Amino acid sequence: MYEIAQKALALAMKNGADEADIYYVNSHSTSADIRKNAIEGAKEQFAEGIGIRAIVDGAVGFASTNIPDRLDDAVRIAVNSARVRESDPDWTALPSSEKYPGVSGTFDKRIVQMDLDECIDLALQMIEGANEGLNNGILATSGSFSRSHGKHLILNSNGVEVEEEGTSTSGFIDVITTQGDVATAYDFNVSRNLDIDFFQIGVNAAKLAQGSQNGISIKPHKTDVILHPFAFSDLIESAFAPSIDADNVQKGRSSLIGRLGEKLASSKLNIIDDGLMPNGIDTGISDDEGVPSKRTPVIENGVFKSYLYDSYTAGKEGVKSTGNASRHGYVSTPSVGLRNFIIEYPQSDIVSDTKNGVFVNTVIGAHTANAISGDFSVEARNAYIIRDGQIDTPVKSLMISGNIFEMLRNITGAGMDVRKVGGIVTPSIRVSGMSVIG
Amino acid sequence: MCDVDFFDSRIIEGTATSIILDNGKIEEISVNYTRGVGVRALCGGSWGFTSADGDFDLQKAIRASSELAHGMDLRTPKNKVELSPISMPVLKDIPRVKIDPMDIPIEDKVQFLKDIGDHAKTDGVSSTTAVYSESSLKVQYSSSEDVECEYELMHTGFAISAVATQNGAYQAGRESRFGVCGYELFEKYDAFALAVSAGKTAVELLGAKQAKGGNMPVILDPELAGVFAHEAVGHASEADLVLEGSSVLENKIGEQIASPLVSVIDDPTLHEYGYYPFDAEGVQSTGTTIIKDGMMESYLHSRETAACLGGTAGHSRAQGYSMPIVRMSNTYIDNGDSKFGEMLEDIGDGMYLIGSRGGQVNTGEGVFQFNAEKGYLIENGELTTLLRDVSLSGNTLEILKNINMVGNDLTMHSGRCGKNGQIAPVTDGSPHILITKALVGGA
Repeated sequence: MYEIAQKALALAMKNGADEADIYYVNSHSTSADIRKNAIEGAKEQFAEGIGIRAIVDGAVGFASTNIPDRLDDAVRIAVNSARVRESDPDWTALPSSEKYPGVSGTFDKRIVQMDLDECIDLALQMIEGANEGLNNGILATSGSFSRSHGKHLILNSNGVEVEEEGTSTSGFIDVITTQGDVATAYDFNVSRNLDIDFFQIGVNAAKLAQGSQNGISIKPHKTDVILHPFAFSDLIESAFAPSIDADNVQKGRSSLIGRLGEKLASSKLNIIDDGLMPNGIDTGISDDEGVPSKRTPVIENGVFKSYLYDSYTAGKEGVKSTGNASRHGYVSTPSVGLRNFIIEYPQSDIVSDTKNGVFVNTVIGAHTANAISGDFSVEARNAYIIRDGQIDTPVKSLMISGNIFEMLRNITGAGMDVRKVGGIVTPSIRVSGMSVIG
Repeated sequence: MCDVDFFDSRIIEGTATSIILDNGKIEEISVNYTRGVGVRALCGGSWGFTSADGDFDLQKAIRASSELAHGMDLRTPKNKVELSPISMPVLKDIPRVKIDPMDIPIEDKVQFLKDIGDHAKTDGVSSTTAVYSESSLKVQYSSSEDVECEYELMHTGFAISAVATQNGAYQAGRESRFGVCGYELFEKYDAFALAVSAGKTAVELLGAKQAKGGNMPVILDPELAGVFAHEAVGHASEADLVLEGSSVLENKIGEQIASPLVSVIDDPTLHEYGYYPFDAEGVQSTGTTIIKDGMMESYLHSRETAACLGGTAGHSRAQGYSMPIVRMSNTYIDNGDSKFGEMLEDIGDGMYLIGSRGGQVNTGEGVFQFNAEKGYLIENGELTTLLRDVSLSGNTLEILKNINMVGNDLTMHSGRCGKNGQIAPVTDGSPHILITKALVGGA
């Protein structure tokens, strides 16, 4: 793989690129899929491809391919595309070679060696969990176990050479009640290592669906809302993350323009973007263009400390990249993306500490949030009334609406239940005075 | 090789080009050449699936897939999966490209996109983005049942978004059009006028009021009603979801589930963005009436679900060389005979919801949530106050029954639909519809 990437890089320079970078990936993944309490089938994917970014006079061209015969064409068209564009005065340079930090917990040999039988076993564990001790009032409608092992290589004309290998496993399950009132729920977990309790994923989903049966309606009012990590991370990703993306900020598409140093949230709240977190889903020695990973406080004691940068947006502003260049495979150019995004707030037994309120497990429609203003209006799923510090009656249908920045100011508590929801790492979060419409 | 009951393969080869414009400057020009294969194998009740990139070895991929199916069937034997019968597809009426985008110099496309961006920058607009994309695709299907067929298809389209800012408030307006055609797309749609319209929407939303939530009668514009048809009705009628117990439409065939004014159709033969001549299982495409005059008539089927539930296959699709699943194509609520003016008169007081910023549905419980791009308060049959950040949520079966007027102005909107991590080009459509009671969410 190193030779192919080297060849593409040399060809790009020969074709007249001032700078170029190559992103090469090679991965193998396997999944066992669940349907209706049974394993429906297995999938295997062999993926391999290369993306070429060429810079001519400050303009970037990009092409990608997974066909070895088309590599020369792809390199040529990347350089030609760059030539079509006008020079970008904001372009500085591709990253240069640096010393890379060490990371841990991103590779598990057991995942590499896992065979089909083991994949089936772990998928079956989720189904067994869902049907455990409930007299079979639950059907696992769909779900999947998956494992993946991949390598990537980043090379550029400024001497960057980053090669990383990693693994991951994940499990998710969707369930529905088959006796009495119809209710659905899901649970999932993802890890870089083979340390997930797959049985528990099934148990959690089943409990949640059964607990949501015979929900009641409630009157529109303002109340304390506890958002489970699934619900909170969805809102953070859709309504908050776009505002700290330096690209959006530089283009005038963020509510946080010019607000560094401002107090945005309760002084007990910390939010950290961390590409180095041990065992993190988005952990690696570098970002997707070869900038060493680092830990960036975004909100510290309630104060807004930093936007997130890739090398282009950092160069434009004369600051250092925060190591947040992110690619969606080899077919796309890097852009700013979250790494492990860690939410910290003093933890307590949050439900007991809440006299009256609503507990929301998941939301649907978070992606419809206004990414600039932070306004959202979402449907809460598997929601419960909290009465006198205890989970009480389920709520049938509930809309919650608000504004993410207002929400950050109104955080008053966090649970003990920290979860890695993909790259977002958060406990349950309590927000006071949220609008709920039942 | 392992003994399997069936296998098939899809070889996909394509070239995709996209140009992204940001505030009048080219943000990205990107070209992708891709080739790959997806192989399915069926052994008893178990499916195996293998996909491989680039220079794959087809026989090796068939072997790998067969081994997966065989291994699964040994480990977890299940009832044998039957597939509905298939005949060789006949390709007819394939959309013909009039102007091949590959014949247009990239410089011209860049300039045209810049002009579109300029038109979106109406007074008060602070930033704009515009995207152009074209892709050519060649699909070759073959199976162990000796079905062999192939087609080539071109997709072209553009999207524009404008953002307006005032006193720390931001609002966006968006327009997009995609189709199964070449560069002649720009003859069908006036991209400049649409860009101006996106800009105007963003600016006018700055002055819009927050909606007050609650239950009320509403009129949906064709775009939002089309999203309802797709998200709430279409997904629940996908037979794989019905079979796994995740659809509120299970056991509803032959039942009056909607107002008699409502017919919902999914038709992949229409030359819209969701078009295909044969599906990902080599089945000739045909239109399917999901709801006819309020009566649930049919689910959308793959060969497996059609054999299991009875029905006609032809709705299997896959993103690239992924595993085919049951999908929609061009889904719409058919025309009724009401006029928009009559609806306003009939509704008296309520809300008019326009456009869509996306939505989600829980097909098992039959509940959905969509965000409109904007809305108007309706007072005494007149559109009055402009509203922003309005959402619509409810129970699919209740809403279907509560539709009491269907317009005669069916309009289609192209978009992309995600299911099981796969994205597919689709079109949604509807005329204006009036719903007597729905839950509107505001801020």
